[in-house]
Amino acid sequence: MKLKKLAVMSLALAAALSFSGCSKEENAPQKSTAAGESTSGEAKTSAASEKGGVTLSFMASQDWIQDAEIELSKKFTQETGIKVDYQIIPSDQYVNLLMTKLNTGECTDIFGAQSGKFDIKAQINVEKNAVDLTKTSWGSQVEPLVADQLSVDGKLYGQPIQDVSSVWAIGYNKQIFKKLNLEIPKDYESFQKVCDTIKAAGITPIYECVSDGWHHTLWLPEAGVEAETAEPGIVDKWNSNQAPFKGNATLMTILDQINDMVAKGYWGEDYMSNTYADSAKNIASGKYAMTVANQGFGVEVNKVNSEIAVDDIGYFVIPLADNQTLNVNPAGPARFIFSGSKHAAEAQQYLEFLAKEENLKYLTENVGKFNKLPFNNAPSMYTDTIQDFYNRYDKKGTVIQTAVKYVNPQWSEMGANLSAMIVGEMTPEEVLASIDEVRAQQAKAAGDPDWK
Amino acid sequence: MNRKKIYPTWFAAGALLLYSVLFVLPGVIGIGYSFTDWSSYSDQLKFVGLENFKTVFSADGNYLKIMKNTLVFTLGTTVIKNILGLALAVLLTKSIRFLNFHRGVMFMPSVLSTLILGMIFTSILNPSTGLLNTFFKGIGLGGFAKPWLTSPAYAFKSVMAVDIWRGTGYIMTILIAGILSISSDYYEACSIDGASGWQKFRFITMPLLLPTLATTTVLNVIYGLKVFDMIYALTNGGPGKATTEVLYTAVFKKFGTGQYAIGTALSSVMFLFMVFIGFFMIRMMTKDEVQE
Repeated sequence: MKLKKLAVMSLALAAALSFSGCSKEENAPQKSTAAGESTSGEAKTSAASEKGGVTLSFMASQDWIQDAEIELSKKFTQETGIKVDYQIIPSDQYVNLLMTKLNTGECTDIFGAQSGKFDIKAQINVEKNAVDLTKTSWGSQVEPLVADQLSVDGKLYGQPIQDVSSVWAIGYNKQIFKKLNLEIPKDYESFQKVCDTIKAAGITPIYECVSDGWHHTLWLPEAGVEAETAEPGIVDKWNSNQAPFKGNATLMTILDQINDMVAKGYWGEDYMSNTYADSAKNIASGKYAMTVANQGFGVEVNKVNSEIAVDDIGYFVIPLADNQTLNVNPAGPARFIFSGSKHAAEAQQYLEFLAKEENLKYLTENVGKFNKLPFNNAPSMYTDTIQDFYNRYDKKGTVIQTAVKYVNPQWSEMGANLSAMIVGEMTPEEVLASIDEVRAQQAKAAGDPDWK
Repeated sequence: MNRKKIYPTWFAAGALLLYSVLFVLPGVIGIGYSFTDWSSYSDQLKFVGLENFKTVFSADGNYLKIMKNTLVFTLGTTVIKNILGLALAVLLTKSIRFLNFHRGVMFMPSVLSTLILGMIFTSILNPSTGLLNTFFKGIGLGGFAKPWLTSPAYAFKSVMAVDIWRGTGYIMTILIAGILSISSDYYEACSIDGASGWQKFRFITMPLLLPTLATTTVLNVIYGLKVFDMIYALTNGGPGKATTEVLYTAVFKKFGTGQYAIGTALSSVMFLFMVFIGFFMIRMMTKDEVQE
């Protein structure tokens, strides 16, 4: 009987111990989740005194956090005592990880995500997952077009990280073009001639990096602005589910021409294992002549090889499907504050610090690819080459991933499909059909009336 | 038999309760969710019957390929790890110099973190700058330099090879323990009867090692079906659409894109796989085992 009693007692103790762990959170004092909620002076004083030990966690995709921002964060720590811990995630895994963290309610204090008014609502669900930043001191300074891509129902939820005036275009080595007497191509045919001449000179024409999972995807939706030029109104039809991607002549041509470039060896041999982080190094080495890049690329190449001046890297729009429309995109990576963060007030302080005029200036001067951050009080550093490039094209069009709903959230999937197409596992028709299918799934899940 | 000496059944109640609450119940709820349209895009939950399972087993998606990949990975790595592990175990229970050093070297890969191993091998197997291809080119065997992780023709085999390299030492260690527990009397008796080395292995070692082999096989199969980190770090399911995609990487991606219902449906299928394979395998492998 003694043994029985002992067993019952130890079982009860074990059960009590295991369940006490579960209730610990409930007993903990409730902390406010947003700066706006801690209104009492007492709360503010106690929060300020605790800040010395606060470490903000900030999760972002590789290439989104610049060394200059990390330097600025050290200054921020000196001023406030708040530390920032950056969690940089490989770009091919970022979206999955971010969504998993958001969906399980265990995200970092600050998280990076691509802006885009359709996607931040449907995919990121910022109304639930992010803190409203409309009333911050810097909110009104964000350029209107960019702020629009970061807002839902008039409320601003994110702070832009990068220069979005920059467009993804073909960045080319002017020295090679001059040596080989090459002109800027105006259609796919002249682009092929340029590539053939470069290849014949023993240089790989294009540096492409498929292993990152996102860069090779750019060719389709960036050159895809041509679809609206070729068939005005198609973007509206895509958004209202009146036309599918499958069968669109422009998109089909782009995909066929991607296959054509690979088959003709314009991308070289190592495109499947190349990485975006090595693109400046490879263009600077002279082994490659062109790559899809934004307008800060010249500075990055110049940093690696000072013999190539910043203005030695020129730009022209991706001429697939004979595109000559400048592909603008007011969306880009942005910082969001997680609504479940215990340090939302400190996170807001960090965002406010970054948006100060002197810090925007520091970022613009110290990050090669930043020419003009999308804040009214940020300085502009366009060079003549970049200004020439922007002036060269009369027509502007918003890129597909921002103009068309349910495209950006499937960027990784599109990347996987395109690499499958490149290695011969899928046809261009199947790639477009797959995009349609995933768009339909997301639209239905989001309860979009046009897909019912 | 003294019945008082056997613990009463209710002693298991606490453990059963905890196990049910923490493992069985979430599992059953998970299976329940696989019959709904649960997603991150909507707060409403609707019963959709077998819709998700139809998607999982339809020929349009890649799910059948993913299941096939998982089974091929499990079968391939289990068989090869067991064969290599057994060969090494037999070798490293003989009297050879630096025995423990050899055992240590073989066991070392199992100690390292899978993710770190994945990253190291991503670098070693890089087609242009990787150690392996540089080595082949350096000794004049450039023909052997292949796009190990970036070509659909080699990626799956490369991932399996790295996993086999990592896991063989662990299997070897378990089998060494099994071999050392076999009494040396059997071998002595065999020697007196004039048995050859092969005959000793065939008629003494193998039958008496079967329970240990059953354990290693079950461990390998369960690991193979659940594999995630190695593939995530090496290829993340690529190159292309689903060359090296397995069930867990697919489930992770589905949860990442907010398609929870498909994710839980895939998990449920995996659960059934595991129960089915695990149950029959243990029964089959322990049927004829020899008790010492």
